[in-house]
Amino acid sequence: MIVFVGLGVIVGGAFTALNHVLGPKRPSRVKSEPYECGLPTEVTRTFRFGISFYMVAMLFILFDIEVVFLYPVGVLLNASDSVFVLVEIALFVFLLLVGFVYVWRRGALNWR
Amino acid sequence: MIETPAIDYGALSPIIALVAGICVVLLVGLIGPRGRRGLSSALTLATLAAAAGLLVWQLGEPDADLVAGALRSDGLSITIGLIVVAAAALVVPLQLRDPAAEEAGFGETHTLLLGSVLGMLLLAEAQNLISFFVALELLSIPLYVLCGSHRSRSRSLESGLKYLIVGSIGSATLLYGSAFIYGGSGGATDFTAIAQGIGADLADDPLVLIGIALVAVGLAFKVSIAPFHQWTPDVYEGAPTPITAFMAVATKAAAFAVFARFFITALGPSADQWQPALAALAAVTIVVGNVGALGQDSLKRLLGYSGVAQAGYMLTGLLLGTVKGIDALVFYLAAYMLINMAAFAVIAVRERETAYGDDITAVQGIGKDRPALAWSLTISMLALAGLPGTAGFIGKLFLIEAAVAGNYTWLGVFIVVGSMISLVYYLRVVAAIWMRPAPRLAPAMAGASTEAAGEPGLPRRTGEPGRTPSGAPSGGRCWLVLGAILAATAATVAFGIVPSPLIDFSAHAGEGLASMLGPG
Amino acid sequence: MLVAIFAIPVAVGLIGFLLPARIVGWWATLGALASLALAVVLVAGFDATGGVLRDVVDESWIPQLGVRFQLGVDGLSVFLVLLTSLLWAAAVLWSALQAPDRPRNYFFMLGLAQTATLGCFLAQDLLLFVLCFDLMLVPLYFLVGAWGTGDRIRATIKMIVYTLVGSLLMLVGAIATAVLSADATGGITFSLEVLRRFPLADGTQYWIFCFFAAAFLVKMPAVVVHGWVVDAYRSCPLPVLILLGGVLSKVAAYGFLRIVIPVFPDASIHFQELLLIIGLASILYGSAMAFTRTGLRDIVAFSSIAQMGFITLGIFSLSGAGGDGSVLQMVNHALVVAPIFLIIALLAERTGTEDIRAMGGMAKRAPVLAALFIVVTMALLAIPGSANFVGELFILKGVFETKVAIALIASSGIAFAAFYALRMYQRTMHNPLPEGADSRELTLREGVVLVPLVACIVALALYPGLITTRGQDSVDRSLASLCEDPYGIAGEPAAVVEADCPPGIEPEPAPEAVAGRGGFDAWTGYGPAAAAGVAP
Repeated sequence: MIVFVGLGVIVGGAFTALNHVLGPKRPSRVKSEPYECGLPTEVTRTFRFGISFYMVAMLFILFDIEVVFLYPVGVLLNASDSVFVLVEIALFVFLLLVGFVYVWRRGALNWR
Repeated sequence: MIETPAIDYGALSPIIALVAGICVVLLVGLIGPRGRRGLSSALTLATLAAAAGLLVWQLGEPDADLVAGALRSDGLSITIGLIVVAAAALVVPLQLRDPAAEEAGFGETHTLLLGSVLGMLLLAEAQNLISFFVALELLSIPLYVLCGSHRSRSRSLESGLKYLIVGSIGSATLLYGSAFIYGGSGGATDFTAIAQGIGADLADDPLVLIGIALVAVGLAFKVSIAPFHQWTPDVYEGAPTPITAFMAVATKAAAFAVFARFFITALGPSADQWQPALAALAAVTIVVGNVGALGQDSLKRLLGYSGVAQAGYMLTGLLLGTVKGIDALVFYLAAYMLINMAAFAVIAVRERETAYGDDITAVQGIGKDRPALAWSLTISMLALAGLPGTAGFIGKLFLIEAAVAGNYTWLGVFIVVGSMISLVYYLRVVAAIWMRPAPRLAPAMAGASTEAAGEPGLPRRTGEPGRTPSGAPSGGRCWLVLGAILAATAATVAFGIVPSPLIDFSAHAGEGLASMLGPG
Repeated sequence: MLVAIFAIPVAVGLIGFLLPARIVGWWATLGALASLALAVVLVAGFDATGGVLRDVVDESWIPQLGVRFQLGVDGLSVFLVLLTSLLWAAAVLWSALQAPDRPRNYFFMLGLAQTATLGCFLAQDLLLFVLCFDLMLVPLYFLVGAWGTGDRIRATIKMIVYTLVGSLLMLVGAIATAVLSADATGGITFSLEVLRRFPLADGTQYWIFCFFAAAFLVKMPAVVVHGWVVDAYRSCPLPVLILLGGVLSKVAAYGFLRIVIPVFPDASIHFQELLLIIGLASILYGSAMAFTRTGLRDIVAFSSIAQMGFITLGIFSLSGAGGDGSVLQMVNHALVVAPIFLIIALLAERTGTEDIRAMGGMAKRAPVLAALFIVVTMALLAIPGSANFVGELFILKGVFETKVAIALIASSGIAFAAFYALRMYQRTMHNPLPEGADSRELTLREGVVLVPLVACIVALALYPGLITTRGQDSVDRSLASLCEDPYGIAGEPAAVVEADCPPGIEPEPAPEAVAGRGGFDAWTGYGPAAAAGVAP
């Protein structure tokens, strides 16, 4: 346990330090803002939120949640040893794939 | 160890065919712009044909519980499924030159259409509260999108948004009610288990009573029963016409199927307690729908209100709780599908040819230069009014006979009183077709008279009838659309003269629920 | 045979869609004449004894709902079938001469209307009757709305809504009759022959009777529910007016005799006085209005209301003589109304108006036309010697047997008829010819239609027994339901209580009882005895 914590701290610290020392520094206005989420901190009335954010966020939620379904199935598969469950989950993933192909080919993933 | 649920793949096959079709049509829509329209339409039709074929095959098979009792394939679900599939198949040619479909993409439009069909099939088969709700959402969500698919028309977007909000309220109400029923019946989701859980007397359990009321309200939103109908004319008017047609017919069919299954299977023992309430709703709906349609100038609004009234007639068949009532309901739905499809198709064609949109002016005087369209719309209107020689008459006859046999003669009288009122507005349309001259102003100049003319993307008539401004033949001259219109009209008349085949068909529905139903 | 009579008109109309517009009119005329020929053959070969149905067609149609395709004729309907074919032939021929626009649709609608009307007269299945009754309205709606004059759209919608209010209620009534007697009849059936054997309970009969009466009284039209008539008559194209005034109103009267009295006997007795009073009111109101109006169409419309009042009286006297008189009067009235409308058309063509104040002197240059008109007028006012006189006499005799007071008042109706009929004739034919009017003689084209119709009036005046002898057995059979236990189902036939039967009617089966009316028939000279003497 302690070894793990130690390793974690050491590796993490080492990389951060290296980054700090070696990384190029090009400070800009956007980077210096307190929240680094893509949004300006001060929002005026006329500000419009880029629609592309919604698209990506929605797609993320979609696929993310569907992937969450895979966890219990993994556990089940382990317990049940059933071909039926395997086929079902393969079908599920296939349908997801169809959706993914559609999203991809329609260009929803291209940033506009 | 997990137990594999019992799945009847044979009975599930129409659903499987549809899912496969959805995937294919969606992906085909991605292939370059050329051939998309024809190819995706053809594939959609093929999918629907496959589903229809499998449904017909299942009609001969014994009733079956599909997925561990969550779905049930019986006469009711199959007949309703066939009605829905037929409606969708008639919509597909109508989409061919639809501006909304052009704009949104044929692959997407057809995928959504098929998705909605899938939801309807599942809804007709739903045998438990969970599958009920999931199917209802699967049915609704594609329709919300389709309603708003004519993106350059603000009316369409408004319609989509309105439908989304109202539909969500309906779904939420329904879900809330399901929860009450789940609690009140001691944790049952299956319809038959609910029937055992709540017994015959509803009065001693307010929880269940509230639950039933909420579910009924949720369903009433879907089938547009007054006083939950207010969205109907607005949404019908704004949605692209082919979608309106599909929505008006197929949603109603599927929702009535689950309405019947839920009330008769889950609440069968307490029938005499909910029957009077539904009867009152039916009577109110008939009156409200028919009176509301009286002053309408927009044909789609008119048909929207008429659809409300028709829902009242159909509810009569449902609430009787007899085999004959269910048969009459399904017969009426089948006839209504044919009639409405023809009517909306004619409206869609005229919408694309003139700048009057769906205003009654658009069909004025078409008796002279477009006899095929004129006759189709005329026959549809007469059939909706229930005049003899059409399937509409037989439908009313069937419903009234069932109502009298089920001791609801007064509802039978309400049906004919409703028909009388309805004649005024149906005949107004017929009068416009045959007895008024065609509008003389060139439609493009008459822009002031129709607010739709000011909107972009609307075809303007450039002289020659039957052609869109780009010179491409519009729907009216497209043999596929005309064929669909004439086929539906011919069937309306044929089933009005020789109704027996359609009655035999609808009799399957009653058989499906026969064990739960009273005789007669 | 009956199927052919029934189907030919609409089939002709449908084929007309395939023909060039120029010849459609003549094709339709050919079809109408063919159906007239069939009807003549039907009447010639008709055997009226016993008043039972002949030429019965009975096919399964909608077995699931208990509806059968049953056709048949008896003494009640056989002449109405002939009349229908005759007037339609006249109307179609007249239209063909006028060449209406959109002829294919026009003649198809005429054919459809004829099929529906014949269907009403031939149907022996209650639902088939109701279906045809409703179906009549569809072509009528188009004919008035698309080819009419004046404020036609409003008139036609008014007409449809008025008449459908009744007939849709009748639909419920018909269904209720079949469903509620299903236990007794063993399964739902709409067959009239079966239904009349199993009368419903009194209370049920009462409300169903009201629904049926509503349908028939509106159609007739009777006073109180006559609001649609004047507008419809004003807007109606003339050939269609012949049918509307001549035949379609008779369907309603026929419906009372064919359906209401046999199937709802208790209710018929219960509501007898109400119906008699409605009939009486129609006579008085119709006569009074006909006397004050100046438009020719209005006059005829109101005189029709009065005449239909007479027929209602005859039917609801619930006596054999009254029924016979009504059947005869139905034919008479139709035969009178048709030429009157044609003459109105001719007058309107010559004077440019249909207002009698602006007419007159027509007889000066057109003696033949005037002569034809006077024959028709005399028939309308029921001058002794005309068939109308016999009809009204029978009717009044029937009413006298039951309700003396009503009969006395109704008799005044005959006098009123003389007033308005003669006024109409005088104002158009006599007096000086107004300026701008053109007194022309009948042309050959007009004569072809008009003369045969007037000839029929004359022929019937010479021999009204043609109808009464064939009709009376069937009338008796219709009224037989009014007797207690008419079919001897509950007890043996001998136990029939004759005292409960209306006058002149014997319980069925009692063929010899028909002879009981010999006295009256011998006196009029038109009864079965006279007929037997004349017939070869």
